[in-house]
Parts: sequence; structure tokens; C-alpha cells
Amino acid sequence: MGGISAVGVPRAGAVASIAAIAAVLVGAGQPRALSLVPTGAGFAPAGGTIVGVATTKEVTRPAIRATIDPAVCGSSVPDESVLIAGGGQLANVVVSVPGVKASQPADVSFANEKCRFVPRVGLMRPGGAVKMMSKDATLHTMHAAATDGRAFFNVSIPVQNVTLSRPVDKTGLVTLSCSTHTWMRGFVQVTEELSALSGADGRYRLEGVPAGKYQLRVWHETLKTAAPVTVVVKDGETVTVDLTLVK
Amino acid sequence: MRRLSHILSSLVAIAGFSVISLMTVGAARAQDATPTTVPQMWDAWCSRCHGKDGKGKVDQPTITVEPMDFTDCRITTPEGDSDWEAVIAKGGPAVGLSSQMPAFGDFVSPQQVTEFVAFIKKFCGETGWPSGNLNLPRPMFAEKAFPENELILVPMVSHKKDEPVGVSFAAVYERRIGRRGQIEMVLPMESASTSGVRSSGVGDFEVGVKYALNPGASNHLFSAGFDVHTPTGDEDKGLGEGQWVFEPYLASATVIGSQSYLQTQLKLEFPKDNSWADRVAVYNIYFGRDVRLLPSTFTYGVELNGENDEVALTPQIRKGLSKTGALAGAFGVRLPLNHRSEQGVTWVGYLLWEYLEPVRSRR
Repeated sequence: MGGISAVGVPRAGAVASIAAIAAVLVGAGQPRALSLVPTGAGFAPAGGTIVGVATTKEVTRPAIRATIDPAVCGSSVPDESVLIAGGGQLANVVVSVPGVKASQPADVSFANEKCRFVPRVGLMRPGGAVKMMSKDATLHTMHAAATDGRAFFNVSIPVQNVTLSRPVDKTGLVTLSCSTHTWMRGFVQVTEELSALSGADGRYRLEGVPAGKYQLRVWHETLKTAAPVTVVVKDGETVTVDLTLVK
Repeated sequence: MRRLSHILSSLVAIAGFSVISLMTVGAARAQDATPTTVPQMWDAWCSRCHGKDGKGKVDQPTITVEPMDFTDCRITTPEGDSDWEAVIAKGGPAVGLSSQMPAFGDFVSPQQVTEFVAFIKKFCGETGWPSGNLNLPRPMFAEKAFPENELILVPMVSHKKDEPVGVSFAAVYERRIGRRGQIEMVLPMESASTSGVRSSGVGDFEVGVKYALNPGASNHLFSAGFDVHTPTGDEDKGLGEGQWVFEPYLASATVIGSQSYLQTQLKLEFPKDNSWADRVAVYNIYFGRDVRLLPSTFTYGVELNGENDEVALTPQIRKGLSKTGALAGAFGVRLPLNHRSEQGVTWVGYLLWEYLEPVRSRR
């Protein structure tokens, strides 16, 4: 289930590798990725592409004991706060290009599945909607809150396979939780910036980046890059920026 | 070609039927596990946080805010059904309560929401508590029939022809006693001018009691009350009546439709040192309407105020100042319809605090 963004293959002769940053990750589960690729007016049709792989030396966290609904959740659920593949590739890293706007609004969809949010991290633009449904035969809620604790919404999802939708019109990080299963966590980066999410293989891809010098914005729920990541993008070229994340 | 078209049509129909059948089966399976009645929903969903007995305590709490104890009638009875319905359908933040109470409006019909409110209110197993549906927005002059826990500040500025402006500022404290009773204290500060000399100070301190007469009613509430004015003000300086005044009254509250109200008060004032003929009959009739069914709504109202043969009209507007409705403000102007020079024009307002309710919205 590799991510949409995890498909970048540098073109020969057009790759300007950049020294990446150190990082380490932990994780398990099925990662995926989304990308926000500008398609609207106002963006240079040319531009360059940034690709890379996020990695970490962190290790997968121990599973979380499920304290309620064992028939649905099992006795434990994986801790996906650091979701890594065998080679240390890190999923759920959001890479953004400051100053470069993405185009039309984008929604993001989540499922409550075995008492986890799937996916765990999503990207959307302000004005889009968070769509949610449950595959579990138990009462879930989706409580979406800003970093200051202010709630965007808290919607009960007691019935399976019914999709609900709630708009979010402000940028920033939205934390998702469930009022009935305390361990459940999810995140939505609501941003107008051109952004991509690393997939299960740690890969991300940002296309249509106007030529210029940028300091990438890198977000992960528990890890970070050790130093700022700067990249120079040239029209028609693909630049590789591998990311290493640490605690 | 025609035959091929027929076959394709048949296949499409079969495929469509299969999909619909699968969807139906899927829905039926989902419904098998889905509670359909309000008591079933309470057990399956609500009791996870509120407890099956509605006391808000469970063995394994999954939220950080402890839910209200619905068996406590002081909590379950004072607010109108519309507030409860808003919480169930839209979640706690709709009325300033915690966002940890999720919205169920996507899965519960309006009829079921209504049934939920009745179900929850039954956790208060006692009779004799007036219905919160008759806890109506406070009029400017008419006494509410519903007993309250409120602190109210009432500024008032009076203009009478050829007289200096009169100013008063009253602090009103109301406290419920038991299921149906209320005590009330009023401390007025006044500024008046007599013979060209302005004086300011304490007016006549007032105490009162109120008692709901028919607490089991759903559409009309009647209360009887008795106020006593004490001669704490200085009559010579225009700051009081200078004598005891006894004021029995009847008050009523009536709901018209879902958002309109009629509230009335009939009061007799008996000055202790005056003759029976000097008694004063006061009547206040208020009609108001909420713009929305939320505690923070605007309420527009008009009040007919009579005192013996003097009649005045008081248009007014009230606004809940917090999402919880614990704070509210109102403003109005009393306009004389006759005896204009004697009555004058009075600007009046109030700032109200329901001091047992949370003012700030909870997270």
C-alpha cells in the first residue's frame, strides 16, 4: 500500500542530491502516504521535484494494552506512534515547502479499524473535510482538537460503515482521539502549503516546486530532524532530500 | 445487436440486484448489532461514560471530565429540554459543556433525541421539581415564576419632566430552597435629588420568598411570592419609602410554541403606615421570543407594566453572554403610555449570573 508520493525515481542526470539529516524512527503497521500536488492556476507548470526517504534509528514501541472492548480491539493494539519498516524507513512524516501553496481543497478520510485510526496521519487543506467511518462493532468517537485543546468537533460513530464528514477551515495540526478508547490517536496536518506524507517505505515526493531555495518543514508526531533541512530546487530537475529523524 | 443489448441489460440488472442484495444484507447485519431503542442506545453507547444508572461513574472512565450525576434533580431539572437536545445532537460544546461529550445527531433521529431527554430526566426519581421548560428568560420587571439561583445587577436611570435624573443600582440575590422555593434579597443603591440637593446612598432593602404552586405542570407554572421592603433608605433624601411595604404577588410562566413565552405578575403593595386605600396594584405582562434554541440566544420581548392607572410599555432585548447561559445581559426602556410626566422614561438593564452554572465553556 505504498503511498501516492512514494513513487519518485530520480531521472538520470537531473538529480541533485542533497545531504540529508539524521533521524531515527520506530513503528509498525501498514503505512500509506498522500501528497498534495499543485495543479491549479498560479503555479509554474515547470518547477522542480523534491523526493526522498525518511528514516530513523528508533525502534518500534511496545504494543498498548487494550483496556476495553477486547472482542473488537483485541488484548493489545500496536503503538504506531513510530511506524518503521525493516530498514528504518519512517512513515507518517509530513514534509512541506514553506511559501508554496497547494491548490484546491483536499479532504482526508479516516477509518476506525480495530480500535485504531487508519491512516494515523492525514493531510488536508483548510476548507476541506475530515471524513470518518468505523469498521468496528463498538462505539467510537472522533474528537478533533487543535493544539491549544480547542475542539473542532467530537462525533460519535456507533454504527459501522457509515461515513460522516466535518469541515475544518483553519490551518494547523489537528489531533484526533476517541472518547471511548483512550489510546487511539491520529493527526491531520491542515495546511495550504505544498506538502507530502511519507509512506510505508519512508518515501515522499513533492512535485511542481517553483525554483528557489527552501528550508523544508518536517513534522512527525514524536520525532524531528536534528537540523534544518535546506534545499535548492531548479526547474525541470529532481532533487533528493533524505531525512533522518531523531527523538 | 438487439439481443446483445438485451443480454447486457439483463447482466446489468442482475449485477445491480446483487449489489443491492449485498448492501441490504450488509445493512441488516449492521443493524442486528445496532441498538434501535433509546434504552438500548443508552446501555450500548451512553452508559460507557454516564453509567447505566446515570450517575456518571464507571469502573473504567475513558474521559477526563466526570459526567453530571443525572440522578441529582438539581442538575436534571432546571434547564429546558432544548438545551439537552442540543447536547445530545450536537455535543457538549453546543451549550458550553465539554467537547468530550460527542455529537450523536448523525445516528439519532430528532424524535429519538426527544425520547433521550425524557429518558435522562427520569433518572431524577423525585416529583415536585418544576420543569426546566418553564425556566424562561427573565423579564425586566415581571417576577419569574421559576425559582432561581442567580445574582443580578440592575442599573436604572429615570427621566421625569422637570425633575433631575434619578439613578439606582440594585444587587439582587436569589437562592433556591428545596424543590419549589426561593428566597430573594435586594440591595439598592440610589441617587436622587430633592429640593435641588442630590443625595446618594442605600435605598430600601428588600427580602422576599417565592414558591412554585404547580411544579408538575408542563406548559404553565404558577408561583406565589411575598416581598417586604424595609425602610433602610432615607426618605427625606428621596432614597426610600420611609416605611415598611408588604408585597404579595402571583407570577406565571407559559410556553407558547417552542420559542415564545408569556410571563405575568400581579402584585399588591401595602405600605404599613398608609390606609388600605393607598394600596397599589402592580401588573406586569411580558411576551418574549427566543431567536434560537440555545442558551446564548437573543431574546426579544415587550412588557406591559401597570401601576394602578399608570400604564407603560417596556421593549427589551436579552442576550446570553456565555455559551452555557450562566451569564446574560438585557436592556430595555420603559415608555409611559399615559401619565407621561409622572411616569417619565426609565432606561433599565440587567446583568445576570447563574452562579451554580459554569460560566466558561469547558473543553
